[in-house]
Amino acid sequence: MVQYSADLDSAFAAVADPTRRGILERLGRADASITQLAHSFAMTLTGMKKHVAVLEGARLVTTRKEGRIRTCRIGPRRLAHEAAWIEKYQQLMDDRFNRLEALLERTRE
Amino acid sequence: MRGTTPTTRITTPVEREIHAERIVNAPRDRVWRAYAEPALVAQWWGRGNRLDIERHELERGGYWRYVEHSDHGVHGFEGRYREVTAPERFVRSFEWDGMPGHVAIEFVTLTDLGDGRTRISIVMQMHTPEERDGFLHSGMQEGLDAAFAALDRTLEP
Repeated sequence: MVQYSADLDSAFAAVADPTRRGILERLGRADASITQLAHSFAMTLTGMKKHVAVLEGARLVTTRKEGRIRTCRIGPRRLAHEAAWIEKYQQLMDDRFNRLEALLERTRE
Repeated sequence: MRGTTPTTRITTPVEREIHAERIVNAPRDRVWRAYAEPALVAQWWGRGNRLDIERHELERGGYWRYVEHSDHGVHGFEGRYREVTAPERFVRSFEWDGMPGHVAIEFVTLTDLGDGRTRISIVMQMHTPEERDGFLHSGMQEGLDAAFAALDRTLEP
């Protein structure tokens, strides 16, 4: 069982929505403006802004405004980073504790 | 009491801490000995890699230093004991040679569950997320790419 912090929860909530996963996938290929994204996903500008705000809140996406155009790009990928970290730590501790259990088994009186 | 696959429960209640918890099928005194006796520590702490116990002064202010020899190189870990309460708890500083001067604090608590089993709880406390990430690389370089790839797949629409 792996549990995540509240910070990670927001990231997982962000990617629970298929449209938002699509947006991440799209931004993984190239940066795009909100208008371009709205067009790609056949969505209103307002609807797309909401999705981007959720992704931005989870730091999966960052946005930058130049003139009237807001450009979105993939964020620092904390989700992948943290999940990978936790997975590796779990593996390390499992390996260590498995050895400990084997030792405890051997030293049983 | 076997039955279920043993797993370590990992939680990150705050950003710079990581908690690990495992229940083992042995009374607390025996688990404590596995931490307290250098010859026993050498048999498990290195996860199957050769482990040299260079120092192991299990008392307040005492020094410890373990050196793990893995296929990926030699990794030294060391620190000092800050608190030792046999057979239930010790607190020690924890440094990895790969990040000299970056000090984490490790809290190890053994809880007697009253049925012959013991809960081991380990809290690692770091100062920054960068330190936390850095410690992860002490002997675990391999597999990170695979973990990223697996996660990327879950992000695919």
